[in-house]
Amino acid sequence: MTRGAWLSVGAVFAVFLLAWKGLVVVTGLRPFILPPPEEVAGRFVTAWTDGTIAPHLSTTLVEVALGFAVGAGLALIVGYALARSAVVERLLSPYLVAAQATPILALAPLFALWFGSGLLGKVVICALIVFFPVAVATMVGIRSVDARLLELGRSLRATRRQVLTTLEIPAALPSILGGMRVGVTLAVVGAIVGEWAGAERGLGVLINLARGSLFDTPLMFATLLTIALLGIALYLAVIVIERRLVGAR
Amino acid sequence: MSVAAPRAALQAPGALRLSGLDFAFPTRSGARLPVLDSVELDIPGGSIIALIGPNGCGKSTLLRVVAGLLAPNAGEALLDGVPIAGPDPRIGLAFQEPRLLPWRSTADNVTYPLELAGWPAARRTERLASLVGLVGLDSTVMASRPSELSGGTRQRVALARALAMEPEVLLLDEPFSALDALTRERFDLELLRLWERAATTIVMVTHSIPEAILVADRVVVLSPRPGRVVADIAVDLPRPRTIADLDQAVVSSTSREIRAHLGDPDAAGEVFANGHAAATALSARSREELAS
Repeated sequence: MTRGAWLSVGAVFAVFLLAWKGLVVVTGLRPFILPPPEEVAGRFVTAWTDGTIAPHLSTTLVEVALGFAVGAGLALIVGYALARSAVVERLLSPYLVAAQATPILALAPLFALWFGSGLLGKVVICALIVFFPVAVATMVGIRSVDARLLELGRSLRATRRQVLTTLEIPAALPSILGGMRVGVTLAVVGAIVGEWAGAERGLGVLINLARGSLFDTPLMFATLLTIALLGIALYLAVIVIERRLVGAR
Repeated sequence: MSVAAPRAALQAPGALRLSGLDFAFPTRSGARLPVLDSVELDIPGGSIIALIGPNGCGKSTLLRVVAGLLAPNAGEALLDGVPIAGPDPRIGLAFQEPRLLPWRSTADNVTYPLELAGWPAARRTERLASLVGLVGLDSTVMASRPSELSGGTRQRVALARALAMEPEVLLLDEPFSALDALTRERFDLELLRLWERAATTIVMVTHSIPEAILVADRVVVLSPRPGRVVADIAVDLPRPRTIADLDQAVVSSTSREIRAHLGDPDAAGEVFANGHAAATALSARSREELAS
């Protein structure tokens, strides 16, 4: 971004903070309903320095990373099969759409029952929520590979494997990474929802703690801020990978 | 006569023989749409043939049969006396559009066939250097992506790629049709220089009568679909040819002859008039086929 662009981003953020502070001052809301921004900032810093947030964040991060890896990995394989086989698409797509249409919130207690309150249940939920956008993006990407390039590959006697690695994957990559951008932010949602349904540790647990037993609304806001920053960081990580892989075309 | 004649007499490699080639596309209704009708053609190794005909007459299909991308329904295509069973490294194919891989650099596009064939990197680099010289590619664009290249440069890259495996036969499907007229003439002449050095057989599909005459030893005229060879006209121009050769009297008489075989009534109409005649003839023919 240019300097001007950074300045405008900073200006919008400053306006947001001022509006927040203004709302607190004008309405006189008590801090346990809406704490002012400086109090949230202070709590954010202390919660990080006294080690309140870090262990919860690392738990959530592991759930998100594993869930994303499993979900996106399966989605690449299934998405490819959906794109290349009409039979697979006909047989599988009703289940995929049904799984996507069922709210993850409704499934979370079931998974907690099946897989317990440990890591496994969260990984399953994250994988499930990541699966659909990545599978659809893979299917669309593979289908959009230019048939003329595939004919070129055939005229050069490319093997099935060479077609996959030199034509289909590079051509579908922008679409696949677009699906992963969506998927990685959803993975954070999946992890938090899974933690709500039952867990020992994680940012979702910390929100519940801050709201219920600790009655610490500023800590709740600090946790929300951490979750938002985690989502942004993961999203940016996918974009960096995208720049590397897709780059100038 | 031409440089190709003595080469052919010595049974040069890259000789093509098409005998009784039939090809039909299956249609949705289950009927077959005949595209090629017992095509007979003998192409000596090292010669240049131009294929010309109305739109949709099966020129590109014929080229794909020779390239081994489509299997004929009857008859066979022979390369050096052996039937062509599928895509063959001895046959290089350049399409109407460059068909470069947009995510690869110029150099990696040119050497793509070598990579698929499993050549080690050092040999690929070596071959790249000679290909770049052969097609006159500017060496400063080696790292550029196709989107950064001009149309003419892209077509040069495609030509270099088609020549990468040192094919005996080069099949060109209207390769310069997207270029402006002046660039196209220049490319035609460069193609001739390239042919003199690379000694390949060239079969070029074209819509342009002047281009066919400038480039080819023989101009083969196909009928409207289903395509049959209706004329095989020798171009009696000495080689090496230059653009000035297009002013010779023999060019206009050859051109008249080609036009007459394309079915143009006054033998002076534009190419689209031929297209119209072809469409009329086609619909008449398909009605007959439906009736039978």
